[in-house]
Amino acid sequence: MARRYDSRTTIFSPEGRLYQVEYAMEAINHAGTVIGMLCDDGIVLAAEKQQSSKLLESSLDGEKIYEVNENLIAGVAGITSDANLLLNEGRLIAQNYLQIYDDNIPVEMLVKRLCDIKQGYTQFGGLRPFGTSFLIAGWDEHVGFQLYQTDPAGNYSGWKATCIGVNSSSAQSLLKQEYKSKSEPSSSDQQGATGTENASDIADDDTPFSLDSALELTCKVMTKTLDSSKISNENLEFATLTLHNGVPKVHLFKSNETDALLKKYVPEKTTPKE
Amino acid sequence: MSLDKVLKYTSASKTNPYAFDDDENFLKRDVTDNISHFDFKFAPVLKPAEFAKSHIDVKSQKDSLIKLAHGTTTLAFKFKNGVIVATDSRATSGNVIASQTVKKVIEINPYLLGTMAGGAADCSYWERELGRRCRLHELANKERISVAAASKLLTNMVYSYKGMGLSMGTMISGWDKKGPGLYYVDSEGQRIKGNLFSVGSGSTFAYGVLDTSYRYDMETDEAIELGRRAIYHATHRDAMSGGYVRLYHIKKEGWEFIGLEDVEDLYYKYNNQE
Amino acid sequence: MDIQLGLAGKDFVILLADNQITNSILTIKHDEDKIYKLSEHVVMSVSGEPGDSSNFSEYILGNTVLYNIRNQHELSVDSCAKFTRKELANALRSRSPYQVNYLIGGYNTISQKPALYRIDYLASIAKVEFAAHGYASYFCYSIFDRMKKPDLTQDEALDILAACVNELTRRLVINHSSYTLKLVDSNGVRVINGEELLKRTSAK
Repeated sequence: MARRYDSRTTIFSPEGRLYQVEYAMEAINHAGTVIGMLCDDGIVLAAEKQQSSKLLESSLDGEKIYEVNENLIAGVAGITSDANLLLNEGRLIAQNYLQIYDDNIPVEMLVKRLCDIKQGYTQFGGLRPFGTSFLIAGWDEHVGFQLYQTDPAGNYSGWKATCIGVNSSSAQSLLKQEYKSKSEPSSSDQQGATGTENASDIADDDTPFSLDSALELTCKVMTKTLDSSKISNENLEFATLTLHNGVPKVHLFKSNETDALLKKYVPEKTTPKE
Repeated sequence: MSLDKVLKYTSASKTNPYAFDDDENFLKRDVTDNISHFDFKFAPVLKPAEFAKSHIDVKSQKDSLIKLAHGTTTLAFKFKNGVIVATDSRATSGNVIASQTVKKVIEINPYLLGTMAGGAADCSYWERELGRRCRLHELANKERISVAAASKLLTNMVYSYKGMGLSMGTMISGWDKKGPGLYYVDSEGQRIKGNLFSVGSGSTFAYGVLDTSYRYDMETDEAIELGRRAIYHATHRDAMSGGYVRLYHIKKEGWEFIGLEDVEDLYYKYNNQE
Repeated sequence: MDIQLGLAGKDFVILLADNQITNSILTIKHDEDKIYKLSEHVVMSVSGEPGDSSNFSEYILGNTVLYNIRNQHELSVDSCAKFTRKELANALRSRSPYQVNYLIGGYNTISQKPALYRIDYLASIAKVEFAAHGYASYFCYSIFDRMKKPDLTQDEALDILAACVNELTRRLVINHSSYTLKLVDSNGVRVINGEELLKRTSAK
């Protein structure tokens, strides 16, 4: 039955589904895990690199987390080549905005623009949807720190902490428990597409949720989510976005920094996930 | 090259083998974008706009090839019972009176009047085109176009030909939901809302009479007489204005033609009164 | 002979423009408002070529409003000015450049600072404390230089503008009977009665 409706993305199935788009989303569910987390003074992104071979030379710069603009970083889950194209567009959009308005692009505007591109590929004939989801962390002067998730259909949503890729649902539930206890007593951690709040609104209780504790929690969730037993810079990438004197600062962790971070927060004897 | 080939040499349409790339882009931006269905004949030179500028007498260039009838007195003013529109009827060409019976009021539709100053052909062509668009507006929206919108249509049309030799100074007046409306529109792309305007070589003389006696709360008879007087005095002092005073009164029910009066008769009438 | 003045104070900006539309020796309108309100905290005064000034200004206005609707926040004064400059610069090298001069003033609600930009028809931009375009600049810059001081109050700013208007009335061949004044601060745009300024002038 489905055969008739999944050869072209532009065609709805009788049940009202777009199979190609759904398959693209399925592809994301097998991709390396990416976790994003808002805290009071910044955002943490962490991504899993799936190694295909021992012989493969790992690239010097990261392959899962990229700087899009001064105020924007993106974690990628899915087909890297698809992501490259979108990231390129994203960087162009950000630079274009800077050229016109002499200011950093508002985070949601960039997310929206990228999603418009993605959406186009689910509607126009003969095209394949992008097999990519992003976690986009950004800061702008209007809203503050923001974390967005995008999918191949072109939907996006704002989060306080979220996860995409393989095992994302278990990581998500873990985040739900841990993030809640760490930061606030709220029942739900999703904010909805437009209702992103300033990071400072998150911590309703007295103890501030610092970048360090966010990194710690990210490490914890990541190690529990990861399939691999070995945890090192070989298969993990970290990045943070913080604010220094009102200016956003992107920090993509070097391999030695990643190792140092893991050494600090991950217990020596890591038991692999059963 | 045969004559019809020369005549075919029209706008820089895609199929025109003689079109210059340069001009094509120019026309695309300035003309065809807004008014796609017009297919004007342009001068067969590299830059038709430049050609028009140097050969059409927009502001009394002595050696220009194409001369436009300039001498005119037209006026229009709002008062409590509507709008009075009055014009003279003389057309001059150099030092020759070409006609004494020109109709310088253009009846766009039963509720809208336009006046004619500058290039007679430009005025009648564009105001006729305006009439067509106003009718289309009526058909599309099931209500009459406002004076504001009608005048804006005209401005936008002529503004796209700015610098290409159009010469037009007109007052668009009428009655709409908001009551009497009056706008001054010219080929520079200017559009000004106001209570009282006069256009043409005799306008300064007309302004003199108008400004002296004008009150918004005049009675209709008084207003008509003011319009008549202003045109009459302008024709008396301006050599390029003369012929007949043409008077209109715009009311809620639409415009009404008041009459056509020989300025010579008025001369004796006014002089015998004294 | 258009008059356009602008002043940035401690926490506000004031723009002043005359109300005349002229056609060679004729004044065809006496009460035109030449200061566009781009958003709640940004105003823009315009002078230059007749058709261009309204057309291009309406384009800028439309785009600013569109931005505000699309993004649910106001485009800052600074970005408004940069955007206007860019559009003007693009048009400058086209077949149909716009011959318009701008003063763009406003209050940046995020940095909580006023800003005044002077943009001319050659698309040059300058962030300034005070500005003038046209013939008025020959008379008023010296007055600005003489009377300016850091952290100007609204009252002091109005005094400076009154002195400018006074001088223009006295020395410029063309007399302008009325002016539009718009003040922007954290509360938004406020129109100041031009008559009040003239009273200030005569009181001196």
